[in-house]
Amino acid sequence: MKNGPLIVIGLFAGLTISWAGIVLGTNAQLGAQTPYYDDTDSLAYPQRTSGIAVQGQMVYTDLGCASCHTEQVRRPGFGSDQDRGWGDRQSVARDYIFQPRPQLGSLRVGRDLANYGASKPDPAQLMRLLYVGSVTHPSFKFLFDNRQIVGQRSDYALDLEGSAAPRPGYEVVPTARARALVAYLLSLNNSYAYPEARPAAPEAKTSEPQKK
Amino acid sequence: MTNAPTIARAEPPGQAVPADVTAMDLAARGPLLLLIGSGIAWLVISGLFALIGSIQLYSPHFLDEYSFLTHGRIEALRDTAFVYGWAANAGLAVALWILGRLGGNLLRATNWVFAGASFWNVGVTAGLVGIAIGDMTSFSLFELPRYVLPIMLVAYGAISISGVLAWAGRRTEGAFAAQWYAFAALFLFPWLCSAAQVVLLWSPVRGVVQNVAANWCAQGVWSLWLVPMALASAYYLATKVSGRVLPHYEFAPLGFWLLIFVGSWTGGRHLIGGPVPAWIITMAVVATVVLLAHYAIVALNLGVVFGARGAAASFIRFGLIAYVLGGAFDALTAFRGVAEETQFTFVTVAIEQLALYGGISMMFFGGIYYLVPRLTNGRWASAGLAIGHRLVVMFGVIVLVVTLGVAGWTQGVDLLDPKTSFTDIFEHVRLTLLIMSGAQLLLLGANLLLLVNFLQTITSTVVTDVVAMSPLREDTEVTVS
Repeated sequence: MKNGPLIVIGLFAGLTISWAGIVLGTNAQLGAQTPYYDDTDSLAYPQRTSGIAVQGQMVYTDLGCASCHTEQVRRPGFGSDQDRGWGDRQSVARDYIFQPRPQLGSLRVGRDLANYGASKPDPAQLMRLLYVGSVTHPSFKFLFDNRQIVGQRSDYALDLEGSAAPRPGYEVVPTARARALVAYLLSLNNSYAYPEARPAAPEAKTSEPQKK
Repeated sequence: MTNAPTIARAEPPGQAVPADVTAMDLAARGPLLLLIGSGIAWLVISGLFALIGSIQLYSPHFLDEYSFLTHGRIEALRDTAFVYGWAANAGLAVALWILGRLGGNLLRATNWVFAGASFWNVGVTAGLVGIAIGDMTSFSLFELPRYVLPIMLVAYGAISISGVLAWAGRRTEGAFAAQWYAFAALFLFPWLCSAAQVVLLWSPVRGVVQNVAANWCAQGVWSLWLVPMALASAYYLATKVSGRVLPHYEFAPLGFWLLIFVGSWTGGRHLIGGPVPAWIITMAVVATVVLLAHYAIVALNLGVVFGARGAAASFIRFGLIAYVLGGAFDALTAFRGVAEETQFTFVTVAIEQLALYGGISMMFFGGIYYLVPRLTNGRWASAGLAIGHRLVVMFGVIVLVVTLGVAGWTQGVDLLDPKTSFTDIFEHVRLTLLIMSGAQLLLLGANLLLLVNFLQTITSTVVTDVVAMSPLREDTEVTVS
């Protein structure tokens, strides 16, 4: 290869074509996606995330939760996502349009969280998991204040037992960051079935033709 | 395309002072040794993070009381120190040196390289501090907080001036494969980094378009930046250490352009089954398979290293095998049937480590072992440390990749069975991950040996030279090799 300028043009073209194709192409297809208005419910889905949940997603990002958790459900029959109760349908692009920082994740050391809020987990238990951890889950004690009770015990204080319990006269109170993170996790709910999410269940080989 | 570099002299065996040191090497040694030294230092730091992170995988409460050591941040720190610290510094040093040598002129603008390298490392340091205090982005291989990116771009520009001048002012009309790859890396990263910054951080695109863009960026960092730097090192050294013309060199341009045009499309394989347009994934699967031709060409060209001797040759050999294997595994796991099991498991981590550590890092090690004696005009301070580093790092990478692969496979089988809980999976992979963190310890130790050896080498040569106030030997002449 002797032609220097041609090499430069070639390199630039290689980069630009892939950028235009992948980034601009996807943006053209999905960048202007709108919520889906359901006439029966008189509601548009997905619903906007609350402010505290958006803050919680920032906590989720800065702690790098996505290094062990995914937030995407694969279609029924592809993997065991449905059987594990992570969601009845595959995740679609519309689920994420209101998320400032969608984090699909790439490793499942822990469970998928795309529909965590839909399973109605107990917020107090989630707080305890974050504070104490478990055999497989680290604790995030730095998201909590272990402080002396002044006057009345805080409404937010965790009910802890055993070795995790604070000293008498002390209480463990989640910081604003912990509360935001929990609000975010509880807000994760992609259970509404959009038209594009319907062609699911490949095992449904009954006489009834599949809905498109 | 027939003008492959023909160099008759193979690398002298043993630890002799290399015979082909030129004024070119001595003139450029300050900035290049700075790049290499900081690269090795970052590699050790990254190894420390990797060790902590790997322990946390089987013992989740390890150091979890410190927010800056929480597992998610440790992973980002390890990744960033490895890619932007180690690979970038080492790769740039090798790329610049190759462009200078093959261009046939003294490297110009070396002061810019020095300043650029300093600021790049300030940028990496600030970026790591930023990640540790919670400013990381949500994009893998691009976790640096956005406030350090402008300074790093400018620093990168300063470093690459020298390489671009060497490329533009080259004495031969044609260019060798090592030069294309080195130049491609220098030229493409700033564009890639700017394009990614704009759509991800400054004016983020919406919803999953962000994930697709981040995926493109991560693939670009690999295909358009890290791999070209590594292959520049491998192509240059393959001719040097074997003393032979590269076989089937006429295919080398095809291999190069395949990497540039097809490689950047392969990222979507990580999004299989995800909420992204299906064509992204299909294109990626096709591209991953087409890219096998690139790997075949590289293997065909660089196969000559199998007959060569010396430290550089053995690193390139290992790197070549790992690189080609990595490509084959990429293609294999890109098939949806396989991905159903391997996706979201440590198998993907194993393949990534195979490519990053086994592939390109080994090629950089080869470059470093070849470069340092020439830059310092001396020999490595300790032959024992060099051999120790080589054996332990190779053994460590093999154990690392195998254990991650085995753990990932177990995890994949378990994940497919909805009755197996995460606690069970944890128990099943625990022992393998324990061995994996042993491998991380080995790697850390090995790279410490390299760091010590490097520091001793430059103290015994460069510092002595500087004290003697004779940075340029008069009896050397500028020769093109």
